[in-house]
Amino acid sequence: MGIYVKVALRNLVQARRRSLLLSLALALVTMLLVFLMALSQGLTDNMVKTATTLSAGHLNVNGWFKPSPGFSAPLITEAAELRKVVEEVTPGLDFVIDRHHGWGKLISDTSSIVSSLNGIDPAQEGRFLERIQLAPEREYKEGGGDAVEGDRSRIGQPGTILLFAGQAKRLGVAVGDTITITTETLRGAANSIDLTVAAVARDLGMMSNWFTFVPKQAIQEIYQLKDDTTGSLLVYLKDIREAEATRVKLGEALATRGYTVMDHENEPFFMKFEKLAGESWTGQRVDVTTWEDEGAFLKWTIAGFNGVSVFLIAVLMLIIVVGIMNTMWMSVRERTSEVGTLRAIGMKKRRVLLLFVTEAILLGLFATGVGSLLGGALASALDAAAIPIPWDAARVIMLSDTLHLAVDAGQLVRAILLFTFVTGVAALWPAARAARMRPVNAIQHVG
Amino acid sequence: MRTQIAVALLACAFALPVSALTDAEAQALLQIQDDRQNSVGDYQALAFIERKEKDKNDQVYEAVVYRRDVTEKLVILFLRPKEEAGKGYLRVDKNMFFYDPTVGKWERRTERDKIGGTDSRRQDFDRSRLAQDFVAKWVGEEKLGKLATHHLELKAKPDADVAFPIMHLWIEKGTNNLLKRQEFALSGRLMRTQFFPKWMKVMSPVKKAEVWVPKEQRIFDEVEKGNQTTVVIRSVDLSPLDDSYFTKAWLESKSR
Repeated sequence: MGIYVKVALRNLVQARRRSLLLSLALALVTMLLVFLMALSQGLTDNMVKTATTLSAGHLNVNGWFKPSPGFSAPLITEAAELRKVVEEVTPGLDFVIDRHHGWGKLISDTSSIVSSLNGIDPAQEGRFLERIQLAPEREYKEGGGDAVEGDRSRIGQPGTILLFAGQAKRLGVAVGDTITITTETLRGAANSIDLTVAAVARDLGMMSNWFTFVPKQAIQEIYQLKDDTTGSLLVYLKDIREAEATRVKLGEALATRGYTVMDHENEPFFMKFEKLAGESWTGQRVDVTTWEDEGAFLKWTIAGFNGVSVFLIAVLMLIIVVGIMNTMWMSVRERTSEVGTLRAIGMKKRRVLLLFVTEAILLGLFATGVGSLLGGALASALDAAAIPIPWDAARVIMLSDTLHLAVDAGQLVRAILLFTFVTGVAALWPAARAARMRPVNAIQHVG
Repeated sequence: MRTQIAVALLACAFALPVSALTDAEAQALLQIQDDRQNSVGDYQALAFIERKEKDKNDQVYEAVVYRRDVTEKLVILFLRPKEEAGKGYLRVDKNMFFYDPTVGKWERRTERDKIGGTDSRRQDFDRSRLAQDFVAKWVGEEKLGKLATHHLELKAKPDADVAFPIMHLWIEKGTNNLLKRQEFALSGRLMRTQFFPKWMKVMSPVKKAEVWVPKEQRIFDEVEKGNQTTVVIRSVDLSPLDDSYFTKAWLESKSR
């Protein structure tokens, strides 16, 4: 085998200009692939982070309560009992928190927006409070400075509300201002509550446009709910990768404890209102979902991005394949008499084929290796720089306000293996033609 | 009969030197409001709804309203502007549905839903159910401009399905015309103020009496200051309507 590698290397060095140009092209495409993979992984990371910070645990036990067939509310009655059961039966459990859900109109002196209201208990929300970052005033206030106003310790305290920068900007409010929330109770009566902006957090992509955080008491007050109610139990596991398997187990366990568990559907709880309102049952049911279900509506971003990436890489790969085949044809043509000699002294067709394919694979391995490393380094450098994304639309798509790229060794190895394989396959046809040449004709060939 | 009793009670009240109304008299005054506005038979009218919102262009909608009060049915069909034409609401019993012809889908809405995204609500087009849903208490006599009025405070009955659980009404003494209504949230916050500057009377062949219709309603959003809606009612017709009007199929057919 060593002799083939030596011959292949010698040939590559001999045709060094051609080899270098092809390597450069291959390296650039590999670099692009690695970069796009890092961007896609970054998007996925953002989605996990956003979903599990704002709206979901690794698993979620969402309550649905229907006082009448035509009305459904995201509510768990007798929440303490359900929580105890969930803590008992969930395998691989880390911890459980609970949040109230609501939906209301936020009205300031100058503007209004509608938003999902999340009722939190700050004593349970260490993970959330740790993950959010308070925004400097300039992010939501005209002429604001770099100072971060607001007090993280007041988030979730009675009479307060946490907004995200985009929301504060649209409402024209800052820390300390008052916002009125209006909504309807479960009985349909209008109700309102005045809350003070305790802090303004940095945006977390498009989801933070729709989420605000208020104390649980505020939701209970505005919806006239009893103390032992909540909206969802957010279940955090020791290993997020176990979420899907644990969802099935938890659903079965809850059913055996007498809870009516809804059929699983891959969509967030807020997309189920209308469908449930059309169902005839009444009473309490629970719905067990994963973080992916709750963030399912974000997947179009990643799917769309991956689709564009695959198309782009496919086009570039096609160009590279043509380039490799052309190079191999030239190599075969230049070395036809050499092939004839080798065949005349007894080299088998298969070995001739192997000789040319080895040459292509070596070229591919070298070029893609360099391209992967450069792509990985570039992606890591850009990620470390945490470049702010200046356009709203881009922030929505990227699910973040800074550019995030995630590189891992697996991606680099996959890129190298993929392109090396493609390079080898692209060389097969010219190599096969070389192998099929009759020695007598090949020897007489004048290149 | 109820109207006569209510009028008699009111007459007694006005005969007294002190014009304070007892709770029963206040409730009777409420009943008068319902009775004089309810048509017993069917109801059809054109409604022009003008919405003014802060930082937005004014929007004017034209809709036709059909009602059958006996069976609590209501249809609101939008005719203009062009992009809203064919959209409509249908209330059957306690269920309110909204139809959007652009997607061809029906959505279930609450009875308290805002109509066409304006500050008007179903109750502004529907029959008056004040005495049925609220308990009235006399607050005092007040002047509204030059007009002397009874100021009533209304609290929703425990089983009532109403958008605003607290209301204040200003009813003109003598004519019993409702002039002003303020609606409050459970928290006690003032949400809407509504003025009724013009009333008209239409003869009902079924009721064999006149039906009072608020010709104009001016609704002010008290939370989002600056937002206001004006509802103007025209061409009221109390002739019987075909049963088919109060069906999903009829509303759908209007957009084809």
